Amino acid sequence: MLNIFKVLGNQGKPAESVMTGQPKGDAMSIEGLNISYGSNHAVKGVKMSIPLKSVTAFIGPSGCGKSTLLRALNRMNDEIEGCKTEGTVTWKGVNILDPKVDPVALRSKVGMVFQKPNPFPKSIFDNIAYGPRIHGITERSELEKIVEKSLRNAALWDEVKDRLDESAMGLSGGQQQRLCIARALAIDPEVILMDEPCSALDPIATSKIEDLIEELKKKYTVVIVTHNMQQAARVSDYTGFMYLGELIEFGETEQIFQKPNERLTENYITGRFG
Amino acid sequence: MIVYTLVDGSIDFFGNPAVDLVDFFTGTMWRPNGAEPSFGLLALLSGTILIAGGTLLVAGPLGIGAAIYLSEFAGPRFRSIAKPVIELLAGIPSIVYGFFALLVISPIFQEYLGASYFNAASAIVVMSVMVLPIIISVSDDAMKAIPRSLREASLSMGATKWETATKVVMPAASSGIMASVLLGLARAIGETMIVVLAAGSVAGFSFNIFGETQTMTSYIAQVATGDIPPGVAVSAAFAVGLVLFAITYIINSLASKVVDRIRRGSAPKSAGGKIEKVLRKLAARFSFRSRPRDSESLLRRRQLIGKIGSQSMALCIFLAGAFLIILLASVLVQGIGVIDLTFLTEFPSSSPDRAGIYPVVIGSLSLMGLTMLFAIPVGVGAAAYLNEFARDTRFTRLLRRIIQNLAGVPSIVFGLVGLYIFSRMFGFGASLLSGALTLAIMSLPVIVVTTEEALRAVPMTFREAAKGLGATKWQTVRHHVLPNAVPGIMTGTILSLSRAIGETAPILFIAAVFEKTAPSGIMDGFMALPVTIFYWTRHPNGEFHDLAAGTILVLLAILLSMNALAIYIRHRAQKRRDW
Repeated sequence: MLNIFKVLGNQGKPAESVMTGQPKGDAMSIEGLNISYGSNHAVKGVKMSIPLKSVTAFIGPSGCGKSTLLRALNRMNDEIEGCKTEGTVTWKGVNILDPKVDPVALRSKVGMVFQKPNPFPKSIFDNIAYGPRIHGITERSELEKIVEKSLRNAALWDEVKDRLDESAMGLSGGQQQRLCIARALAIDPEVILMDEPCSALDPIATSKIEDLIEELKKKYTVVIVTHNMQQAARVSDYTGFMYLGELIEFGETEQIFQKPNERLTENYITGRFG
Repeated sequence: MIVYTLVDGSIDFFGNPAVDLVDFFTGTMWRPNGAEPSFGLLALLSGTILIAGGTLLVAGPLGIGAAIYLSEFAGPRFRSIAKPVIELLAGIPSIVYGFFALLVISPIFQEYLGASYFNAASAIVVMSVMVLPIIISVSDDAMKAIPRSLREASLSMGATKWETATKVVMPAASSGIMASVLLGLARAIGETMIVVLAAGSVAGFSFNIFGETQTMTSYIAQVATGDIPPGVAVSAAFAVGLVLFAITYIINSLASKVVDRIRRGSAPKSAGGKIEKVLRKLAARFSFRSRPRDSESLLRRRQLIGKIGSQSMALCIFLAGAFLIILLASVLVQGIGVIDLTFLTEFPSSSPDRAGIYPVVIGSLSLMGLTMLFAIPVGVGAAAYLNEFARDTRFTRLLRRIIQNLAGVPSIVFGLVGLYIFSRMFGFGASLLSGALTLAIMSLPVIVVTTEEALRAVPMTFREAAKGLGATKWQTVRHHVLPNAVPGIMTGTILSLSRAIGETAPILFIAAVFEKTAPSGIMDGFMALPVTIFYWTRHPNGEFHDLAAGTILVLLAILLSMNALAIYIRHRAQKRRDW
């Protein structure tokens, strides 16, 4: 097993201390990435770099491979029967797609938020504390600190601080999604992947999550997949447009939306298809 | 009807001057015959608790472990091998398990552990294997019903698969897992043949697993086999049956409520949340403070725990598989020698080398045919009514509940019902007709449930299309729904009949030890394969044991071909189906 922790830096210390002083650069670079499920070639030869501590969005019509690409970044595709991945994703000098890299260790540094809020059927407290617990923290006082901090960072603390022992299933959809974000923050990741985090939410809850993403990029590298172009335009610094498994164009969000280089991108953004 | 039989039969018992109601529930002596009979139910109850409890201790962890492996770790290839093995285990008649317990496991325990010839331990071991399929399949369903998104949430936070399985999936599925264990328990309490063969017939208030013991079911069976002189001791069987029925009914309805809730897909609430909290507090207090906090060794430790955990779960499945192989192999080795032309064409005889099973096979086959005649129209009709015509009222819900709970009634209780209602009240005596009617009632629930499933699988659009053309409800069902559901109905029916033909306990009262001729009319007495296996297995002459093994092979061959037929029908229908 490749020792990913040595490469990834000191686990246990907060992410910012690892990052301080580093100039903004690339967090992850993807090269020659091909992913297929059986005969379905979902991602075709993608090459790009994800910039550090900023929000990178992937847009494109349904089935264009954007979620599959996202799930490659923390090896969640490993859990899908018959999914084959080729190419490299380099993070801190290590190819994280290498079978020798332990996905369990990787995922504790690359967190994920899913399309539909998926809280565990446990209390709010236990939901957040689950990650720290499996990573070896047992002291109640320390757990309480982490829970409060994570909930504050996810802008949920004030709404739930009096009912931490109640079931997370009783929260509203938007609250559940922020809970899931807090849960991902509690393991102290460096990168957060979000797979259409607002698609199951109403506009008010969506705007809360978007504000949150704005906050998160101060500390974390955020990668978000969305089918909502306005959302990509609002929250992201960089945008990639995917179509039929290929990355058609990637660049700063402003450029992609205002003067795209590719015809396809322009057609999609102006609503001519999609 | 069941309740009527049991209550009416019991009144006879409690009305007897030799019987004291208080003593029945509190006495610890069960001595039904003799000059001074005494009926202390606790003696039988203790045997039942010993065996059912022991079974639970063995089968519970094994079954849950196997289910965890199947649902969380096994790949599709492994599942496709393991599932049929489990189904096979479930399809083996309990008489075969009984044979195996008495003639294979018991001698081993006698040799190495100083157990007596009849002992509870071998019954427990074999019964554990018998209830495993129930526990595995219900637990597996419960865990499979947990949404994939929860697993992904856990994995995406860097949890290992093992941590995900034990800390997220299992707690979320805890109510279903609990239900699976309850169903297994009810099955173990109601099981007759294993206990009556392996555990003996001495009732006593003791919990020695290497000694002889008697359970409620094996007492009833003892009455059925005529070992008990008629009189109050026989009517005691009805009282025992009533208690048995009440206990299993309560357990089953508890379990089926939970299973229902899971099937309907309402979020299963984590049961025992409070217990969990207390346990966690305790664990926090006593837990090793100096856990390795340095992430690398912690990670390695977590991975190791996961590996050991998942592999020991895999072991559970392999144990079940190995048991199946040993069971089949030992029956094969013992029985293959006796199968020849004489065996298949001759009549049973008191000299083992001239004995055959021709009339027994005929008896079993005609019993099955007759059962089919009664069970299929009623079962399919009831299902069609429930699914197509009836509205969801309190009455239909009650009907469904009754049918569902009927499935959990111990088979020996059906034996009592058959004896009381068909043999005695209707005056059909110990005939094929009585036997077939008894088995028909017993297979009804399965037929109704599988038929309903098949009907439900027919798309709603077909019904709407037919009604849109002005067809009546009856025409819609008759022309469009039923024809499309036939393969499903046939598969379910054949499977339930193959269950019925392998059952011993319900016809133990009715089938004969020996008849001079094969049955030629429905009022004739008859012999049946499982009952003959039973008597031969108990025969003191060892050569008859080989005959029993040979008969088991014949029975298994019949069951196997019926199952193969069912699978073929299902397969062909799936291939042909264009919707």
